[in-house]
Amino acid sequence: MLHRRILQFLLIYVLGLTSLLFIKYVLKLSDYVIPGPQGLSHTVSCVFVKYFFDVMNTLSVAVIGHIISVCLATIVGIIGRLNSWAGSFVKVAAYNIQAYPIVAVAPIIFILMGDGISSRLLIAAVICYFPLLLSFIGILSEPVRDIEHFYEVTGRMSWRLQVKIRVFENMNKLATVIVGSATLAMVGTIVAEFIAADSGIGYSIRIALYQSDLSKVLVALFLIGICTSLWLTCLERIGYLIQNHFRKG
Amino acid sequence: MLIEFKDISFQYRDTDTCVFKDITCQISGPGFHSLFGPSGVGKTTLAKMLARSVNGFSGEIMVQQIDNILYSYNLERIPGWACVGEHLTEITRASGEENRRDELIKSFGLRGCLDSRFSRLSMGQQNRVNLARYLLQEFDLLIMDESLANVDEITKEKIILKIKAMFPGKCFLYISHNLAEVAKFCKQILVLRDSAKTPQMISIDGQNHMKGKPLDKKFLERSMLEIVHAS
Repeated sequence: MLHRRILQFLLIYVLGLTSLLFIKYVLKLSDYVIPGPQGLSHTVSCVFVKYFFDVMNTLSVAVIGHIISVCLATIVGIIGRLNSWAGSFVKVAAYNIQAYPIVAVAPIIFILMGDGISSRLLIAAVICYFPLLLSFIGILSEPVRDIEHFYEVTGRMSWRLQVKIRVFENMNKLATVIVGSATLAMVGTIVAEFIAADSGIGYSIRIALYQSDLSKVLVALFLIGICTSLWLTCLERIGYLIQNHFRKG
Repeated sequence: MLIEFKDISFQYRDTDTCVFKDITCQISGPGFHSLFGPSGVGKTTLAKMLARSVNGFSGEIMVQQIDNILYSYNLERIPGWACVGEHLTEITRASGEENRRDELIKSFGLRGCLDSRFSRLSMGQQNRVNLARYLLQEFDLLIMDESLANVDEITKEKIILKIKAMFPGKCFLYISHNLAEVAKFCKQILVLRDSAKTPQMISIDGQNHMKGKPLDKKFLERSMLEIVHAS
């Protein structure tokens, strides 16, 4: 799982890098526009460690934001599955609000909350929250009739049991959605840092952009790709272990 | 015990097709009764009306001395997080029906399935497990919608005779496509026909075969012929 994901990333990265170098040599562009291999290796030796910790910083914010989103989406999804007015309200609100691009609200969040960790966390959480919520509402609202029928007709059904049945029956879908939204959380955090934060890899990329230093951006992209791949593989592994635990009892 | 369908008419929303047209019939007394008819004629719909999970029909369904109606069908599953034995223990914990549970497990041939996950069982085993757990509940009328589908004939006979012996005071509505089976084991067969035919439902007496009671083959053949003609 891990080696395949990292291999895929490396393949794309090397292809992209080769294309850039090809363009550089064909169009005879200066090192200022696209750095050569020597410049790249020099940048790697200078910023690799700093950028690694920046990526870890961003990743930690993304992970916390993602966990907050999953918890929130679970709670709201449980309410949204109801056939009452509360459930209908949550569903309609979720479908309508998700249509609005959340990134566009990011500057307002920075204005109101400053450029510290809370803003980054909020943006990361909000960006992955709505796709998660829609999937959670969809999954938790869909009855598993073949299993639930017995509990309903014998009066044994409780909301906890209903949620447990629906989650268990859709474990694969939920795992896929959670892994997918983890990428979104990372993207959200980087975008937030890119807009106005004072730390993280997005902030470092913004500085590199002001310096027009493509080699620094390339190093940042490499580290983001590797660390995100590791995190996604970790999540997939956790999902797999949870599913196995339940299936084997 | 009495179940009476009085002038039942029904059609699904957004369709012009009439499923039932003025159906009137009666089921009385405990024991095995059958709802028989070709696929798509409305057997499950009528059973669900009786179980009060389908509404919006005209006419009246009256029941006397029947408080608990359970509807079971053959595609039901038990949750995947527990094995069959754990599930059966769980659903009998509060009611204290351990003896009945063990008897059903033995006579339904489920001993070998107790440590297995439901999804690992054959369809016949799954249906037997599902029926057993319904029999462990409080009920006056149990609707068995193809509940013994995919079970071999010998085991099926053993199970039906066992149910009859264990629950002599309960009412069962058995939905099946097996002509010989309903004619042999049920005391009354309600043959449901297409809504274009009048009357739409015909009641025929069955053999109501019991353990230790000899089989009247001539009567059985006559019942089967009547059912074939009616449907």
